[in-house]
Amino acid sequence: MAVGYHDYYETLGVPRTASEDEIRRAYRKLARENHPDVNKDPAAEQRFKEVSEAYEVLRDPEKRAQYDRFGRNWKAGQDVSGSSGFRGRSGRQGSGGNGEYVEFDDADFSEFFEGLFGGRGRRRGGFGGFDGRGMETEAVLELSLEEAARGGRRTLSLDGDDFEVEIPPGVRDGQVLRARDDLLLRIRLRRHPRFRVRDADVYTDLRVAPWEAALGATVEVRTLRGTAKLKVPPGSSSGRRLRLRGEGLGGDLYAEVKIMVPKKLSKKERQLFEQLAKTSTFDPREERR
Amino acid sequence: MTATLVPRGAPPVEIAVLARRSGVDPGLTRRFVALGLLDRGYTPDAAARVARAARLRRDLALNCAGAVLACELLARIDDLERRLSRYEQR
Repeated sequence: MAVGYHDYYETLGVPRTASEDEIRRAYRKLARENHPDVNKDPAAEQRFKEVSEAYEVLRDPEKRAQYDRFGRNWKAGQDVSGSSGFRGRSGRQGSGGNGEYVEFDDADFSEFFEGLFGGRGRRRGGFGGFDGRGMETEAVLELSLEEAARGGRRTLSLDGDDFEVEIPPGVRDGQVLRARDDLLLRIRLRRHPRFRVRDADVYTDLRVAPWEAALGATVEVRTLRGTAKLKVPPGSSSGRRLRLRGEGLGGDLYAEVKIMVPKKLSKKERQLFEQLAKTSTFDPREERR
Repeated sequence: MTATLVPRGAPPVEIAVLARRSGVDPGLTRRFVALGLLDRGYTPDAAARVARAARLRRDLALNCAGAVLACELLARIDDLERRLSRYEQR
């Protein structure tokens, strides 16, 4: 993450007096040149992020005015607070009319941007125009899938105020909870290396040995709440889904059979597989012909 | 002798599946497909093509037809670059 003052006008190559139209044209030109889908130069992606960040600020008259006023002294007003996993909202901002919009994630923007603006919608002191008193504020609460499945009470901190919030078990991505009279929490579920979420159901790979898939076996599978024993029926091919009822996020957990083969075979294993190859009449490609 | 009849045109595309895999709104996915984004074939990278069209539309302020055309041209550039590099290696 880049640190220090960013001259957004310089990034876009426009004078400080540039009109909205000039800023938009400069952004589009630089975006076309540096878009990661168009330009394969690894440095282009970083340039694209910088250009997007500059445009996100300069396209918005309020943010631009704030940047012009406080930009160089951005550290002076910092009072970023909040417990781990609690941050301002990020997301899409539509501009209506021409259908153009910028999507961004706070994680992609520099520390400078974070320091000056916080996350989108974060209520902060220190800068005029960002005081949300008397208004309803929305913030994002990031949870792991395990935390979402378990639910429970959680202590959060916002602008120095600590408060508790009850997370209902099985809470879903995008769900909005009311934390206080003036604060809504939008749930964001972190990606999980092992589980995939589809609506209320959760999917995971169930790795099995070829003989377990062929003969059937009882294997242990990780769930969001611990582990469970699962019976793999004989003759299970890769992709077969085995359901664990009620182990999803309000839905079920599906374990998808994935047959794994040892990378190296011992002499004995090789002999047995060769014997099987000679004996078996099974043709896995037969159905497709 | 039995002849197998093969239907003409691209195989039917399940928009909901494509939208889910690409993370793109189903309405926008349908529009890209209708504009011919997948006319070169419904290959395993179809979802990636939809996602790319959506990114280009969003980031470069293109309309849907422009995004589809950009994808088509980028794919052709990739193809030509691959051929050129094979030619240069000879």
